[in-house]
Amino acid sequence: MKKLLFGIFIVGIAAQSCTKVNENVYDKLAANQFYATPAGANDALATVYGKISGTWGSNYAGRDNCWYDLNEFSSDEQVIPHRNTGDWQLDFAQLYTRTELPSLGIIDNTWNWAYGSIYAANQAIQELTAAKADPSKIAEAKVARAWFYYLLIDDFGDVPFYTDNNTPISKIPQTKRATIYNFIVSELTANVDLLSTTRGGTYYGRFNKWAGYMILAKVYLNAGVYTGTPQWANALAACNVVASGGFTLHPAASSTTSALGNSYYDLFGDVCPNDETIFAIYLTENVISGNIYMIRSLNTPTGVALMGFAGWNGTVIPSEFYDKFDPSDIRRKQFLVGAQPDGTIYTTDVSSLISPGAAPNEGIRDVKFYTAGIHDASGASNDFPVYRYADVLLMQAECEVQLGNTAAAAPFLNQVRERAGLSDIAAPTLQNIYDERGFELNMEGHRRQDMIRFGTYLTPHGFVSAGSAYMELFPIPSAEITTNPLLKQNPGYPTN
Amino acid sequence: MKQVYLFKYGLTLLLLICAISVFAQNKPFTGKVVDETNQPLPGATVRIKGSDQTTSTDARGVFSFPNNGQSAIAITISFVGYDVMEKTITANDASVSIQLVPNQKALNEVVVVGYGTVRKTDLTGSVTNLSTKDLNPGPVTNPLEQLQGKAAGVNITQTGNEPGVPPTVRIRGITTLSSVAGGNDPLVVVDGIQGDMTLLNQVPPSEIEHVDILKDASATAIYGSRGAPGVIIVTTKRNAAGKSSVEYTENTSVDVISKKLDMLNASQWSAEASALGVDASANHGSNTDWFDLLTQTGVTQNHTLAFGAASNGFNYRASLSAIDQTGIVVRSNYKKYIGSIVATQKALDNKLTLTMNLNDGIIQTNYSPTGIGNAAFTSNTITQAYLARPTDPVYSSPGVYYTDANVFQYTNPYAVAETVSNLDNINNMFGSLKADLDIYKGLTAGWFGSWRKVDENSGYYLPAASQNTAAVEYNGIGNINNNHTDQKLMDIDLAYKHDFGKSHFDALVLYEWQQQTYNGNFTQMRDFPTDATTYNALQLGNIADFQNGDISSYKNQRTLVSFLGRVNYSYDNKYLLTASIRRDGSTVFGVNDKFGYFPSGSVAWRIDQEDFIKDQNVVSTLKLRGGYGETGNQQDLAPNNSIGLVGLNPTSPTVFFGGQTIPNYSATQNYNPNLRWETRQETNLGLDFGLFHDKLTGTFDAYTSKTINMLFNYTVPVEGDFLVNSDYGNAGTLQNQGLELSLNYVIIKTDKITFTLAGNGSLMQNKVLKLSGIIDGNPVFTNYQSYGGGGTGYLIVGKPIGTYLIYKHTGVDANGAETVAGVNSTTPLDPGVQSSQRYDAGQELPKYNYAFTPSFSYKNFDVAMVWRGAGGNKVYDGLREDLSLLENTGKQNVLASAVPLGIHSTSVQSDEWLESGNYLKFQNLTFGYRFNIPANKYVSSIRVNLTGQNLLTITKYKGEDPELDASGDSGSGSDYGIYPPTRTFSAGLNVILK
Repeated sequence: MKKLLFGIFIVGIAAQSCTKVNENVYDKLAANQFYATPAGANDALATVYGKISGTWGSNYAGRDNCWYDLNEFSSDEQVIPHRNTGDWQLDFAQLYTRTELPSLGIIDNTWNWAYGSIYAANQAIQELTAAKADPSKIAEAKVARAWFYYLLIDDFGDVPFYTDNNTPISKIPQTKRATIYNFIVSELTANVDLLSTTRGGTYYGRFNKWAGYMILAKVYLNAGVYTGTPQWANALAACNVVASGGFTLHPAASSTTSALGNSYYDLFGDVCPNDETIFAIYLTENVISGNIYMIRSLNTPTGVALMGFAGWNGTVIPSEFYDKFDPSDIRRKQFLVGAQPDGTIYTTDVSSLISPGAAPNEGIRDVKFYTAGIHDASGASNDFPVYRYADVLLMQAECEVQLGNTAAAAPFLNQVRERAGLSDIAAPTLQNIYDERGFELNMEGHRRQDMIRFGTYLTPHGFVSAGSAYMELFPIPSAEITTNPLLKQNPGYPTN
Repeated sequence: MKQVYLFKYGLTLLLLICAISVFAQNKPFTGKVVDETNQPLPGATVRIKGSDQTTSTDARGVFSFPNNGQSAIAITISFVGYDVMEKTITANDASVSIQLVPNQKALNEVVVVGYGTVRKTDLTGSVTNLSTKDLNPGPVTNPLEQLQGKAAGVNITQTGNEPGVPPTVRIRGITTLSSVAGGNDPLVVVDGIQGDMTLLNQVPPSEIEHVDILKDASATAIYGSRGAPGVIIVTTKRNAAGKSSVEYTENTSVDVISKKLDMLNASQWSAEASALGVDASANHGSNTDWFDLLTQTGVTQNHTLAFGAASNGFNYRASLSAIDQTGIVVRSNYKKYIGSIVATQKALDNKLTLTMNLNDGIIQTNYSPTGIGNAAFTSNTITQAYLARPTDPVYSSPGVYYTDANVFQYTNPYAVAETVSNLDNINNMFGSLKADLDIYKGLTAGWFGSWRKVDENSGYYLPAASQNTAAVEYNGIGNINNNHTDQKLMDIDLAYKHDFGKSHFDALVLYEWQQQTYNGNFTQMRDFPTDATTYNALQLGNIADFQNGDISSYKNQRTLVSFLGRVNYSYDNKYLLTASIRRDGSTVFGVNDKFGYFPSGSVAWRIDQEDFIKDQNVVSTLKLRGGYGETGNQQDLAPNNSIGLVGLNPTSPTVFFGGQTIPNYSATQNYNPNLRWETRQETNLGLDFGLFHDKLTGTFDAYTSKTINMLFNYTVPVEGDFLVNSDYGNAGTLQNQGLELSLNYVIIKTDKITFTLAGNGSLMQNKVLKLSGIIDGNPVFTNYQSYGGGGTGYLIVGKPIGTYLIYKHTGVDANGAETVAGVNSTTPLDPGVQSSQRYDAGQELPKYNYAFTPSFSYKNFDVAMVWRGAGGNKVYDGLREDLSLLENTGKQNVLASAVPLGIHSTSVQSDEWLESGNYLKFQNLTFGYRFNIPANKYVSSIRVNLTGQNLLTITKYKGEDPELDASGDSGSGSDYGIYPPTRTFSAGLNVILK
């Protein structure tokens, strides 16, 4: 027995040296070490922009199934019908007809993208602060976070609110839209003047001072929707700061080197021009996400003819939206209607959205983002203009009209009209401005917000019947309701 | 074995002396005793019934009794490991040959239980023990096929018969909700070397001596850290002492399609398309049978040459095995070569035993391409043959495969099958050394080290000629993928055995260290000037077309440290106790919880040894067993999951920042210092019984187990502390309960005829008890999480894993759109998981499995069958859905049954496509014949067999085969097209040379 005990002792000794189970990491970096350097903190800021360009199902715009699709297909300017050949899921048509439910993947994706982005922004703020980084960079991350919260309250109303990633979920209550609105305003006000004033170059695709004020202007512009109290004067003031940044409208002239023969379409090309662009998302197909908005619309033969790759035969422009465009408007060039050189005939109308679905070549197609740069069957490299000066002009016009200064509004509106080849309007109405926003900014992600602000969101049009007030907010995704018991569903939607 | 050997020869000598002394006038009664391979059995005991007169067989297996004037005598022949045989011989019998039958009941067999062996009679846990004669014969390319239907509670499922694709095994159901492929796979131990299922690739099927399957936790706890999903222990053949042999085993088979879906042919399609108003331009007027084009008759050859010898202090066995399989789908094939040598040498006055084992298995597989088709329905190539329109031509011009520009992402399955290169090479190597030392009176020490390396290299080339959309877009895509696994294991043990009085005691302490390292790389290029070099000259691709993700590499590592102790105690051979405890540490867990304790205890009572049961003739064997054990699971968790990590963002690896494109580093994983062991707690009660002199034997087991702290990628709120909306944690609880019964009834057993009925069955029930808990300080409420069933299966607290929540099909509306219950013009469809329009339609995993394995032999001829079945589950037949929607007709083919069904389109997944998964298969029918070999110097045995496999499937399932993924992973419970199941006919030969 002694020997046995001795043996155990020997084994014990032999084993002593091999009892460590510390883990080795070979192909990744430990987070605490990575962020401890200034370069790491800088990368934490870059990551925030990585969220904005994102990827399939997780991005602001460029790819599909996330923020852009949610906010575009719920408006009146585009839809993807189910085809009677069995192609295309119903999600887009459901959004368009306001029959979407909390389980819709696009809603869940948008929510996850926004909160994933807030996580990245919180982390950037934490790491940059710890690294004692340049205050303009910390301000940049804070402005980005404010922007994500603005997008969230715009779509969902009351949402969970937190600014420190180490907060347990039980300490993150669903916060009133107006409360988060106040946070956004104070956060932006405190930080926008710290931002760089550089336009383009190293600040292309970043939140500089002008982009910061643009966000502030947008938040004030919709304050009536968010809080019940409009802030037209504040919105106008913020717009005026943006305008002081030296922006001009990109000229619209016949050009053989531009898409659709007009330099206006340079605005939606491979790189957005600095004269008009305030904030853009840099996209390069298969390198940094990509832009699908042309290939998603065209059918196979037109896609092959115009881009060299088969189109997806998806997006169509509702005829009632198309019909409002003046035939001389250069912005009407973006639509493909009727007979095409490749032999396709696109009809103006769509016979059915869901069942049995539209015939393959029904519906008007859109080529506003005319394929530029590196491209393939899954998209092109057109950058996405989130905010541009034309939008500012129309916002200034809107604020002036709202403040009762119709005459002051006219020059702002008419600058935009003149560039498009339209005649001036001496005394603009809100309807004029609303329509002009549709002509100028369609396909750019603004329409749903505009429709709500102008009170047209619930008006029946085409296949869409009159809506109920609750539809002005999207449902909270059901997956989040299940996992976070603190969340309450928005009124009007099923709770599961 | 050595003792037996001496014993045999000693008795032979005695016999010779006796033979001389009993020489008498009358012709003696003589006979010859042979084993199951007709080899003489020296040293068998022969007794004249009702007397004390005994003798033993000589070296030629011959015995003799003097004739005292009787006309006949009744004798009994017994030999260790064989059933006692009774026989009447007459004086006139010239040469009676008596063949002994290996002991079916085999209660004296030794069972490998992990780090040691016990006699089967001393087992206290639930262990299924199978030896060579129990294994399924036929064209076997993976040893698992030999076990199908043979063990209760061990369910082996083969989905389709793609060469090189092994079956899945589940022992007692699903222990964890697997996040990593293979998390529910049992641990495989081959001659002491531990590994995953791929380790079986290194075992030639005909070289298996026996397989022991540890089922309950009291048995598997000894493998603590890796034992939760059960353990399969394979012991390969060794040469018996004093014998040298050369053995050749061969099997050749042909495979044919066992079932083909009934699609529209060209004229039917044309008629249907015009009736549906499909544009005439979609009809290209050909008549192509795509399925026929893509299939061929498969042929499989399997050869194994094994030889070895054993003498005092030395023993070796070497084998070389080759399997060559041509698949039933064109250009899919499989080649496997295994070389193995095991050598044992004794030293230090036989106190030291050294065993070395070297094995190399090379596998080359041409897989039929998968992921083919348009984005809405990708599948393997053969399934696309069902989808292809019968009116499409194969070629558009000579040598150019047809494609239709008007169909989005058109697929020409024959072009893909003929032009894609998809070759996978795997080199599996292992070596081990075992040293056992007798120290002093029952105290032994052992050292064991093994090293296994798996090097996988695969190449894939998708040329533009395939007409695949992506290939045309990029003018060819080629890649090479390398994956390396390096698994090292070392253990040191001390064991002690002692008998005192009626007590027997043995104990084991062991230290074990394991390290598994995984690394590899992937390289891809696009746009090739020529297809001639396929993936072999990636540098010919165009660097301008390089994309994110086209190059990658990885490396990670897992280390395990374990301490283990086990005690076996028995008293009077009646009362048995086994207890073990194991402490395991694994690197994959959080810093706060790296170690776990896994205890087990089991007892058994051999009631048949009690005096009170001896005076009756009904019960011959009776043993009651009971045990409890805890096992751990960490293999399901990939390394580096508890550490806060930064890496390139996997989905968007670059970002534009500061005016340039730079790498997009981002946090890729939460820090979770509390990530810890998942534990399975299992209680087992068992009864082993034999009635009527063991003519009827059986085993019954009942178990209940709970998996607590279940490792799973839980859905978590995306707000706050969590990086993404899923996180690895230990929140849930899973319950498994089951009953298992095996029966074996020997109806007839004489020296000429044996007829046995055998079968087994198991009932299984699993339930998700809890999916919520605290992860990383946050309360987590996972529920109604999607889990398999083609998107209709869910994990729901209180219900079985993979419960279908689905809409009830009610018909079609005027537009031909499918209608479902609860949805009408005023109530829109609610697609929510908890929608009241859905109902609970059953589960993905079978509730019961059963098998019936009768066998019969007459003289040298034998026949055996395997019938097996499963049921209680449903299958979502997604392929039938896609092939039934008439709106698809313009771009693809549809089933003949789609026309009367009349569903044009659907917006939901309804129970129209949910079908019963019940089936009964006539899995195996084998006829064997062993030739009588006249005495010669060269050949000792020749046996031939004919086998038919998968001869009949009785099922209501409408797809190709209801035997689908039952792995319990998230791919279970649906059918989106499989590699075709085959019916196989084979002929085999086994020759043993002297």
